Amino acid sequence: MSGATSDESATTATSDETETRTALNRVVLYAVLVGMAVFYLIPIETGLMTAITDPGTYTGSTPYLPPLEPLVPGTGSFSLEPFGNAFDGLSRGLVNSVILVVPATILSGLLGSMAAYGLTNVDWRGQVGIYALFIAGIFIPYQAVLVPLTQFWYNVVPLRTMFVALTGIPFVQEYHWKLVALIITHTAYGIPICTLLFRAHYKKLSSEMIEAARLDGASVSTIYRRIVLPLSIPMFAVVFIYQFTQVWNDLLFALTIVQFGEASVVTQELVGIGVSQSGTNFPLRMAAAMLAAFPTLIVYILFGDKFAEGVTA
Amino acid sequence: MAELTLDTVTKVFNDGDSNEIVAVDGVDIDIDDGEFLVLVGPSGCGKSTTLRMIAGLETVTDGEIRLGNRLINNTPPADRNIAMVFQSYALYPHMTVRENMRFGLEESTDMADDEMTSIVEETAAMMGIEDLLDRKPSELSGGQQQRVALGRAIVRDPEAFLMDEPLSNLDAKLRATMRTELQRIQEDLSVTTVYVTHDQTEAMTMGDRIAVLNDGVLQQVGTPLECYHTPNNRFVAGFIGEPSMNFFDVTLSDDALTGERFSYPLPGDVRSSLGDATEFTLGVRPEDIEFHATKSSVGEHDFECVVDVVEPVGESNNIYLRFADDDGPDPDTFIVTISGMRNVSSGDRVVATIPPDAIHLFDDRDGRAVKNRSLSEVDAVAPT
Repeated sequence: MSGATSDESATTATSDETETRTALNRVVLYAVLVGMAVFYLIPIETGLMTAITDPGTYTGSTPYLPPLEPLVPGTGSFSLEPFGNAFDGLSRGLVNSVILVVPATILSGLLGSMAAYGLTNVDWRGQVGIYALFIAGIFIPYQAVLVPLTQFWYNVVPLRTMFVALTGIPFVQEYHWKLVALIITHTAYGIPICTLLFRAHYKKLSSEMIEAARLDGASVSTIYRRIVLPLSIPMFAVVFIYQFTQVWNDLLFALTIVQFGEASVVTQELVGIGVSQSGTNFPLRMAAAMLAAFPTLIVYILFGDKFAEGVTA
Repeated sequence: MAELTLDTVTKVFNDGDSNEIVAVDGVDIDIDDGEFLVLVGPSGCGKSTTLRMIAGLETVTDGEIRLGNRLINNTPPADRNIAMVFQSYALYPHMTVRENMRFGLEESTDMADDEMTSIVEETAAMMGIEDLLDRKPSELSGGQQQRVALGRAIVRDPEAFLMDEPLSNLDAKLRATMRTELQRIQEDLSVTTVYVTHDQTEAMTMGDRIAVLNDGVLQQVGTPLECYHTPNNRFVAGFIGEPSMNFFDVTLSDDALTGERFSYPLPGDVRSSLGDATEFTLGVRPEDIEFHATKSSVGEHDFECVVDVVEPVGESNNIYLRFADDDGPDPDTFIVTISGMRNVSSGDRVVATIPPDAIHLFDDRDGRAVKNRSLSEVDAVAPT
């Protein structure tokens, strides 16, 4: 009997030890996780706090603390004015960016998907060579094409003169030709990577299923429209998020093609906002940066679950 | 509904470096209207390639494929009026069962909407899947998906059905059920059917005729029992039948066949039909070997053996025998099938009789059958 009892207590002691060790592991794990979260979130938090501080009271305040001036001295006073001003200052750029990003994203996704389908699920000679050209397109650096791009859109293609005729259509302005040029450029630049992403997905589609559709009487384009396209929705989420972020955040092509003026996109407007000879208006700049980053955040939230499906598929 | 003719159909694959692989080599088969033909052979024998050529999914290198006297070599798959059932079922995962079954009608006919609906519903009722019409394939079991795949082929009302190992993803019990059901459906619809399988039970039980392929070459076309009892060559003899036919390498000398462990005297009429060949393979089906626990007088076709392994299957026992004088560590064995009610155990000394009218002889030079078992006692299944 006594032997059994001591055995039992020994077991309890060991399980106690194990429990303590797991608890300690958990504490360390959570400490590290919280530390990482703080580390990554501090810049955003600081930006947000700065953005809601009254510019007049900003100088000398601690940027990462909330503006609670009457209650806590030295933190600046609360104001939504920077956001209002940022919206006023960026509105033209935001509209231009939306005009640019929506068609550019959809077009590069759709064309990339079609190209991948044609290169993967349809059988013809020489497709590997063509696919190699697509892949090569991914590796052409932006910097290498800046001068040719300017030459192309300003001297080779008379897009500007073609656009004069279209200005009769409501909402179409003459300066929109620059945005169209930018849409085409981004679409062309986006197609290779979209093709690569879609091809990986289409290689996993059952070839027997495509063959079954062919025997059912469907043509190549019908198979794409009725079978392949509906099955690529998760991949479209991945591609849309990726392309949207790329195009929305791009500054280099915009500077090269739009250069300046009414067609400026949000990243171009962001460069100059809140900077003047009298100094930098940090709350305004922070509010503008928040505003410019907001649409990409929305896209991530909207397509997030499909994105996860597409990445793990 | 139409007859399907393969006329010296050949398929050569080029793998780029001018390496040519002959997958199908001059296959000739005439399939009658409404016939159920089973294409059978080991993996890589070209049976699936043949089927895919009929479907139009592979081009034909040489020869002709005719469906109802219409040459279809260069007809696109969509215009052949053929329906195919795939091994993986190949259902469209984003469509409901109803949409899966309608797809072919929508794409290949200009039928009115309600006509399509009624055809789909009729077929679903016939297949017993009317309750599943609004479900997605991922919500169905393997057997149900199989039925949907069949239903999808049936609604098309094609001139020919092609089936590529459609039952191989089902469990054994369901496979047996679907086997009979498929046969019943095919009989009801009497649509010309080509069925590819590597499973010789399916080949034996389902087909009106079997076509045995090996290395792209057609070995034999015949009824299941013809292929079983009168195989054209050694390959067919070994491939059809479970457990397989026993083979012994023998040499003809005087009036007897001499093997490594035995000598088998031949009756005069058999001996005279063999011509000038000397090297043969002697084949005998496991169930044709007579098995005696003891025998008082040992005749010239009786051999003293020792039981090596007993495999009870239930209704029968598969007995692996070795010749009594072969007591090495890895003896050559042959199989005898006896009734499951007979009790035999490993190590028993027995006598096996190989009756002269049950033996097959294959010429070693080309594997051709020079003598098949006598069918005098089974004239009901005599070849036509």
